[in-house]
Amino acid sequence: MEIKELNIHIPRNFRKWKQFVELNHIQNFAPSEVDQIEKTFIWVEGDDVAATGSIAGNVLKYIAVCGKYSDGGAMFNQVVSHLITQAAMLGRYHLFVFTKPQYSQSFQYVGFKELALSNDGAILETGPGGIDDYLATIPVADDGEQVAAIVMNANPFTKGHQYLVETASRENDHVYVFVLQDDSSIFTYQERFDLVKQGTAQFKNVTVVSSGEYMISAATFPAYFLKDDQDQGHYQAVLDVSLFKRNIVPALHIKKRYVGTEPFSKTTDSYNQAMHEVLPPEVAVVTVPRLELGGEVISATKVRQAIVTQDVAYLDQVLPATTRTFVKAHLAELGKRIEQKGWK
Amino acid sequence: MEIKQTAIAGTLESSDVQITLSQGTGIQIDLDSSVASLYGDDIKKVVTDTLASYDVTDVNVKVVDKGALDCVIKARMMAAIQRALGTVDEPNWEVL
Repeated sequence: MEIKELNIHIPRNFRKWKQFVELNHIQNFAPSEVDQIEKTFIWVEGDDVAATGSIAGNVLKYIAVCGKYSDGGAMFNQVVSHLITQAAMLGRYHLFVFTKPQYSQSFQYVGFKELALSNDGAILETGPGGIDDYLATIPVADDGEQVAAIVMNANPFTKGHQYLVETASRENDHVYVFVLQDDSSIFTYQERFDLVKQGTAQFKNVTVVSSGEYMISAATFPAYFLKDDQDQGHYQAVLDVSLFKRNIVPALHIKKRYVGTEPFSKTTDSYNQAMHEVLPPEVAVVTVPRLELGGEVISATKVRQAIVTQDVAYLDQVLPATTRTFVKAHLAELGKRIEQKGWK
Repeated sequence: MEIKQTAIAGTLESSDVQITLSQGTGIQIDLDSSVASLYGDDIKKVVTDTLASYDVTDVNVKVVDKGALDCVIKARMMAAIQRALGTVDEPNWEVL
């Protein structure tokens, strides 16, 4: 048995690889899934392909073993082992995998921990810096208190976000605001985090924390960042919310999750639906109507448009003072980023 | 002594063991083995003994055991420790 690295971004290789993977019941070859793949390995015996596996960031993908060579799981272990070693050579030790529910156990046999399970999929992780380490960094509110959570990208933090946090702050003893850690938005993670922190400083019962890799991250919810894939989006959203309910909720004694209504983004709307499906009855979902200004809801998307058109009057209206100061000081640079990266 | 970087050694194939070392306080061992109820304590002893011979006192150890013999566990531990300490080019002869 020989292990070869295969560049699947070459059409000829891609066809051969896809054919093998399809035979092993993986059907999703959407560009959003395939484009991120950095390394693919195949195990070859003569002219036969016996197995394959790929690495994309810190996610292991497209692991397939031909039934003829599976040998009671030995081949599977060899594939996962090789991928872990290869990822380690890239300096990645903390790894995730999405798989079908029936394969979750196979990954658990090789040291993975299951984070969430739904009818359509499972998400698991392995390596140092796992979810227990993440949770250990968050201060825990006393049990018995009314604790609420909000998850936001805040790209950037607007008066609309502030209104949502304020509402939760008023109705609960303690509020966690999780800021998405993934750095693929116009405003960097650090900028978004700082602006949320500054913009909520007046609410004394609010703790602003990072989402880590456990809420709407490239690992748990890639479709959020690749807005083309709605079916995938819903299945990933259900897993993402299940992960929240199973791991974050009990550790921080969260009783409610607050969310703004979503009139624009289909992905976010599908995510909100997933919350209603998964969270109750243990966690209540509280939907707060978006703050309106002159009959129009405030949205971060419009703020980013106003940055490009340098519509300072609009920015003055919808941004809290803290965000306003930052945006005005960096107007030209932010405009340039939007030009380069698109509207994300 | 603490380790300098995360390191990994070994595989998940039958009769082998995969060991991941990462920074931590004190020695924490996370053992995953189908024979943990029979040999868990023995495996942990090999792990702690090997760490002691390198004077490593603060580290998180993740052990995914696939039925490795003690000598294999020791060899994988040594490789992982030397990688974690950045001393792969300077084998510790006294330990060997």
